[in-house]
Amino acid sequence: MTQVAFSLFLVATLSVPLVTLMSHRWTKARALPPILLMGSLAVGIAVAAAGFYGGQKFVVDVSQVASFSFALSVDRLSAFFLLLICSVSLPVILFSSSYIPRHYSGARRHWLWVLLPLFLMSMVLVATASTPFAFLFGWELMTLFSAGLILIDGDSEQRRHNIFVYLLMMHAGAAAVIGAFLLFLPHAGNFAEMRASAAAMPPSLRTAVFLLAFVGFGTKAGIVPLHLWLPRAHPIAPSPVSALMSGVMLKTAIYGFVRFAFDFLGGGPSWWGYLVLLAGCVSGLLGVLYAIAEHDLKRLLAYHSVENIGIIYLGLGAALVFTANHAPLWAALALAAALLHCLNHAIFKSLLFLGAGAISDAAHTLDLEELGGLQKRMRVTGAVFLIACCSIVGLPLFNGFVSEWLTFRSFLAGSEMTSLSAAIILPLAAGVLALIGGLAAACFAKVYGVAFLGRPRSREAESANEVSLPMQAGMGALATACVVIGVFPGLVLRSMGKLTEELLPGVALPQAATSLSGVLPGIALFVLVLVAAIAALKRTKKLTATWACGLPGLNERMQYTSTAFSKPLRKVFSQVYKSDRTVEVVPGGPPYFPVSISYRSVRTTSFEKSLYRPGVDAIVAAAHRLRQLQTGNIQIYLLYIFAALIALLVFMRFV
Amino acid sequence: MKLAINTVQILLLLLLAPLVRGVIARLKARIQNRHGASVWRPYADLLKLFRKEDLVPDSASFVFRLAPIVLFTSTLVAAAFVPLLHGSALLDATGDFVLLVYLLALGRFFLMLGAMDGGSSFGGMGASREALVSTLAEAPFLLALVSVAIAARSNSIAGMVRWTLVQDFFQFSAVHALAFAALALVAIAETGRVPVDNPTTHLELTMIHEAMVLEYSGPSLALIEWASAIKLTVIMALLIALFVPWGAASSLSAMAIGIASLVLLVKIAALVLTLALVESSVAKLRMYLVPDFLGVASALAILAVVFTALMR
Repeated sequence: MTQVAFSLFLVATLSVPLVTLMSHRWTKARALPPILLMGSLAVGIAVAAAGFYGGQKFVVDVSQVASFSFALSVDRLSAFFLLLICSVSLPVILFSSSYIPRHYSGARRHWLWVLLPLFLMSMVLVATASTPFAFLFGWELMTLFSAGLILIDGDSEQRRHNIFVYLLMMHAGAAAVIGAFLLFLPHAGNFAEMRASAAAMPPSLRTAVFLLAFVGFGTKAGIVPLHLWLPRAHPIAPSPVSALMSGVMLKTAIYGFVRFAFDFLGGGPSWWGYLVLLAGCVSGLLGVLYAIAEHDLKRLLAYHSVENIGIIYLGLGAALVFTANHAPLWAALALAAALLHCLNHAIFKSLLFLGAGAISDAAHTLDLEELGGLQKRMRVTGAVFLIACCSIVGLPLFNGFVSEWLTFRSFLAGSEMTSLSAAIILPLAAGVLALIGGLAAACFAKVYGVAFLGRPRSREAESANEVSLPMQAGMGALATACVVIGVFPGLVLRSMGKLTEELLPGVALPQAATSLSGVLPGIALFVLVLVAAIAALKRTKKLTATWACGLPGLNERMQYTSTAFSKPLRKVFSQVYKSDRTVEVVPGGPPYFPVSISYRSVRTTSFEKSLYRPGVDAIVAAAHRLRQLQTGNIQIYLLYIFAALIALLVFMRFV
Repeated sequence: MKLAINTVQILLLLLLAPLVRGVIARLKARIQNRHGASVWRPYADLLKLFRKEDLVPDSASFVFRLAPIVLFTSTLVAAAFVPLLHGSALLDATGDFVLLVYLLALGRFFLMLGAMDGGSSFGGMGASREALVSTLAEAPFLLALVSVAIAARSNSIAGMVRWTLVQDFFQFSAVHALAFAALALVAIAETGRVPVDNPTTHLELTMIHEAMVLEYSGPSLALIEWASAIKLTVIMALLIALFVPWGAASSLSAMAIGIASLVLLVKIAALVLTLALVESSVAKLRMYLVPDFLGVASALAILAVVFTALMR
């Protein structure tokens, strides 16, 4: 039954591009692609829920009819990620059904409706593949379709360069992933075979597989320093696509990593875990620090994806350390924390990107310095954006808190390990997580405070209006999910326990995980009642002008800007930023009154300068040297062919 | 019975918090050779503010009025985790100290938003500075609590208190000394006292907390003031509960609770006196020295955590 539904879901999603192409001349059928896609996603959610909650497993195998081994199968882990993909995509598509016609017309709109379902399908392929071929097929398509979707928004020189960086890094990452699969040869027919053969592999080979998977999936996930493409590619895509890329696509990398590290390899020595922890710490801290300094909303959100991937890696790293220390109970908790944070981040990050889309729809800019006062003009968008901000910061009663709390709880268990390094490093990682949380709070106080509160800083922001109903509904659904998971985490945690049981055989989630589900609803009820009671008591209010020290003429330029807000933090963490700034003062007559002062500050991350630049330069130099082989003289080429032939003959003689 | 006492604990915190502020102000005045206002003055202030009307800037949205309510509510819920009179609290769950830290963060987040909703320079100024201080205070706050939790082999605040109660007072461990030092520094930063922030300043340019609430008036201001008084008392109670809980009731008899209340009053009085002395004798730090101040707190907290592993 589920197998049939799953096949229906696949076929329906794949038919959307065809329907779009066939009906593009027929204006009445304009609503057809989004409705068809949403319908098929609803089927996908049902299938995934049956797999995740009900534990149903099923296989769709076409290896018999195809000439290559191509099979999809859904176990609990796949079902969880399938649920994540479908349930986050559905509201995003609902949002797009109104956003896309408003912003794109003609061929560009058709391309969006052709590529979006294909992009979704490629992610589904990655999450459900059970043969390396199917996995890599989906993996490559995911990169290509997302690059295509970015191109729809224009192909200026700058954008093409950014897409080039994206494609280049994705292919380098994919090479590592392919390498990780190849190391399983000759047992790389399907995942079950790989799982069985991994135990018999020599330790050095296991380490090689782990490192290749770490680098390959890390590139896609965007861990520092492999994150370079992320703040370039995500902000320039159409907003719903950014939502899918940041919210969903990054999670497929986490899926791949979990599949390799836990399912295939079943954990390893503890240094694997420390490596992942280190990647998590560095990504989390640098991601949020770079985000604070941004004032372009979508770039800021892209850096926050780096941060949240860091938090997920903290959980994964802790799980690996626990596995190495023979504490599968706590490994299960840390793994559940990481997986739950995947879901939570998918929900609130796509909500934030949709919010950014709504802002650009209403105020025609994403520069925080041009926004302000939007809450009074866009009540629904503002409210859901506030919920998303509270969630990403990890405040209690919102979903981000639950997964961060679980991560904290697992770090604390580090003190029970007999190994001294684990007992010191894991509890200290809690401090890093707290610092990340504090910085994220500062950053989103800035984002929401500058964009939605106070006075509008530009005419566009002043004349902004609430977005259309489908867009509100899409965002509202995601915001509801943030609050529901934040108050009733048991809804997901219970089945998450069964999922970790499958990955770490025979271990149920520790009692600690469920204790929170008992407290949160009560607190939520208490807070709700108290807030409502106080709000009801102090109803009377009187509007006045803002206090301006008794002087007239307070204007919006006197408010703190995004740059001003983040200045103290940027100053304290100035080592991270290293901006090149130039101040030019044109002096006037009297000494204290210059004619003009211009200030320019260019920020390039030190990774580009010191890590990537030498490598790129070396490759370019090597290419220049190799070019000397290409003389253009046909005799020389004939000589090459002759030499190659001789070399081959000699080689064959001795082998 | 237990539930009743735990409810009384919360009400005590709620009602006595303004008194703590009044006493500090009075003590400071006496130390500075002034007469000072009555210790009941904060109550009169709250009453006066609650009777006034709520003035809202014309640019502000619903967040402006929601912020004080969320701040007050979240502080009150945080108070429910701290045992005062005996080793249990109204809310007691594993890992609840993380919840306590984040509930305080929830209130602060909304206060920062409320400040920015006013649309003047001061709100943004205060929020930006508060962001700096609170960001850097969060890690040492949590790490210090983590070290105490590990030492006490318990994950809830009430559990840590129960463990400490059965320990020998004179076997004070290095972990506790370090964690106490770290938490004391964090407490000063969290509650906005000298040398991090000056609650009685009248100069906008030096304000942190006061700049954030500059735009508030009437009941909203009353809620904010009350919440910050509760927060001060909660953090004091937390310090007492984690490090010197001895004297708290071991049984639920009226006698034991009575003695526990007296002992608690003495302990709070001692903390209040210390705070007044410190505030009168130390100058406020320049804002960019506050990160160093919190850096010391972080270093102490990190050492405390390292010691938990080394000393087991």
